Amino acid sequence: MEMSKKIFLDYKRCIGCRACEVACEMTHGEARIRVFEFPDLFTVPFNCRHCEKAPCLNVCPTGALFRDEDGAVAFDPLKCIGCLMCAVACPFGIPKLDDENKIMDKCDLCADRRAEGKLPACVSACPTEALSYGDINEVLWNREGKIVANLKSSAEKGEGEKAYIVL
Amino acid sequence: MAEKLVPVVCPWCSVGCRFYAVSVNGYIRKIEFDYDHPTVNRGKLCPKGVASYQFINSPQRLKKPLKRVGERGEGKFKEISWDEAYRIIAEKIKEIKETYGPEAIAFLASEKITFEENYLVHKLSKALGTNNLDFPGRYCQYSNSPARTAIFGSSAATNPFEDVEKAELIVIWGHNPAETAPVFFGQYIEKAILDNGAEMVVIDPRSTRGHKYASLHIKPYPGTDLAIALAMLNVVISEELYDKEFVQERTVGFKDLKEAVKDYTPEWAEKVSGVPSEDIRKVARLIAGKKTALFVNEGMNQHVNGFELALAIANLIAITGNIGKEGVWSGVFPGAQCGFCAAMSGIAPNKLPTGKLVTDDAARAEVERLWGFEIPDWVGLDLTNMIKEMGAKIRMMYIVGGNIAKSAPNSRWVREQLKKLEFLVVQDIFLTETAEYADIVLPAATWFEKTGTAISAERRVQRTYKAAEAPGEAKPDWLIMVELAKELGLGEFFKYEHPDEILREINSVIPLFKGATPEYLAEHPEGCFFPCSEPGEGTKVLFKSAFKTSDGKAHLQPVKWREPPEMPDEEYPLWLTNFRLVGHWHTMTMSEKSPSLEKRWPDEYVMINPIDAEKYGIRNGDLVKVETRRGSVLVKAEVTEHVREGVIAMPWHWQMNFLTLNETHEKTKMAELKAVAARISRVEE
Repeated sequence: MEMSKKIFLDYKRCIGCRACEVACEMTHGEARIRVFEFPDLFTVPFNCRHCEKAPCLNVCPTGALFRDEDGAVAFDPLKCIGCLMCAVACPFGIPKLDDENKIMDKCDLCADRRAEGKLPACVSACPTEALSYGDINEVLWNREGKIVANLKSSAEKGEGEKAYIVL
Repeated sequence: MAEKLVPVVCPWCSVGCRFYAVSVNGYIRKIEFDYDHPTVNRGKLCPKGVASYQFINSPQRLKKPLKRVGERGEGKFKEISWDEAYRIIAEKIKEIKETYGPEAIAFLASEKITFEENYLVHKLSKALGTNNLDFPGRYCQYSNSPARTAIFGSSAATNPFEDVEKAELIVIWGHNPAETAPVFFGQYIEKAILDNGAEMVVIDPRSTRGHKYASLHIKPYPGTDLAIALAMLNVVISEELYDKEFVQERTVGFKDLKEAVKDYTPEWAEKVSGVPSEDIRKVARLIAGKKTALFVNEGMNQHVNGFELALAIANLIAITGNIGKEGVWSGVFPGAQCGFCAAMSGIAPNKLPTGKLVTDDAARAEVERLWGFEIPDWVGLDLTNMIKEMGAKIRMMYIVGGNIAKSAPNSRWVREQLKKLEFLVVQDIFLTETAEYADIVLPAATWFEKTGTAISAERRVQRTYKAAEAPGEAKPDWLIMVELAKELGLGEFFKYEHPDEILREINSVIPLFKGATPEYLAEHPEGCFFPCSEPGEGTKVLFKSAFKTSDGKAHLQPVKWREPPEMPDEEYPLWLTNFRLVGHWHTMTMSEKSPSLEKRWPDEYVMINPIDAEKYGIRNGDLVKVETRRGSVLVKAEVTEHVREGVIAMPWHWQMNFLTLNETHEKTKMAELKAVAARISRVEE
């Protein structure tokens, strides 16, 4: 079975510095990831979810959108006709119209960087590791492992309640 | 057309992050993250780091020497040749020396140029016979630095950043590292808290980006932190929570300290600072009970009473034993990537490059022997007093990479003073607000256009390499110093053809850097921690067995309450303070020329609490006039709970210093840059 690689967000680590946005912009000319502000200084960076059952992929009439070997919903600019069907189908409003080239533009998990064995630019930059990249289940197993370890060490120290705050 | 990966140190804050500039034919095409070396940033960068080469390609870069043709401050110049520029400067220096003596000339070095370049500015100023030498860092760490030097004998960071991860308590006091040093915050502070279970306390009138991790956030009025620190000392001593063995073995002066703080109860401090006494007690007990990493910065430094506050905090660190071991952290935290480059090459009106005093005959003789010329023995003027004396004691100023028309307190006054100089040379990469007052402007190369050495906040000495060619006729600052020295007839003391040669001289003149040779640093991109006495040797944790004082003990200093020079009254009823944004840096000389930053952080604004906003009839987004006794500015209001009642706050990068106060501390010369009395009113648009 093919691995599904994703950018995963641990939003508690985010400090809203927008390094991800700037790194994306420096790589692609336009930022395809955005940091949203919530009350009490909570911030959430948001990029294409690269959905497992991606509606954009299903509705693209020219095959410009495709699933690449890392599981990213990638994009062939030569095939795109700018019909906006992907934008209509996307529940998050991710694909945007590139005004200059009259085709769509979206996150491709930095296909060029991945081809050179590098992390996506936003993940490379993220100072707090709020953004991480890898096989999604590996990322999630690590997260679960860490949380269980936290609970365990808190229980051992008799700080049951504090563990939930750390979560 | 081969791409070259050039290892560089980031040119903004003092964390000392490394990355690669991807260079093609003398141009930087992009940056690449350095995940190859054991660097402080572990590959990571903040938005400024990622965008860091944008400003070097700005069309506004200075490319030719300029001569003023209009009025001072008018910004009218004509282009001249380097030969003519050097000739004019050399003639003027000679004329002013002959008319008024060398003490009429003042030099300003910079926290933005390399270690080697600071060293040369220092050497040139002394070769010309003046000790009027300072740098804009005067307004940065010059409360904490002298205070820690008085108590511990050295002000530098006690531990490497990796020790922060091992701390049990993180105290962030008048500091906002989540915005000013995001990589440090993310890689060390967050890990201590989120991964290792450390507790965090924030002391700040504003809610800063990191405060969501804090178990306790106390919000003093700006400039009243000293009251809290005194009360904490009172609690730790009266409740006998101090580290008795440490106080006994490793400190002197405890009795006097105890006596000095005995009346400063938390209840007294509550009345002064507006912080509940119970919270002050809680924080004091935490610091006494846990291994503490304590971070202070401009919220603590930039006050006239900042020196007393820094003494109180350093006393607190000492008596709680939070120093000289692993898992703690305290020290100065410069704002710029090369703050230490200026400080450690002795850029100060009373110092030699060795760090010893100009008044010390033996120390002076030692440097005279190494340099081969006589060094003046008098103490020069500090930056604020240079400004005060412009047109009087100071007739000429030579400013390398500093923008005092914006960064010094009370900008309107500074700009009037600049007009009084007979001759001003500004050496910079852009025509800054200060350069507009210059007679001669010299175009300098940027950080990426030269090789040199940087020193980070954790005392890490690293080399950065040339990745791009300077545009037009711009030259690196070290080369300008060398060529000017030649024109001045001082060429024999400035025979350098490459920064490596300057660094080798530093290796032999400044003992703390003996081991930081060009060869060692080239082989070790992650650098060494000064003191690095021999190649390969560094000192990660300071004061493990002794302090740098004469007897090796920490000299506790009795401290008294001192009121801020200006406090709110009927006419100006609010406290005004300021803060920094992650996307801008200092006076924005570089960040406003970085499109990716400028578009995300485009405007200044003033934060006001909803209670105050209602009182003054101000709604979110209203245009308001913020006014102090020095001047007024028009900005948009942001009505927010993130600033406490009674306090308004503005980012300082834009016009803040038109409002601040040029009163200084008698000893440290620190000005009141953070707490002034202000009023606010809505303006019809």
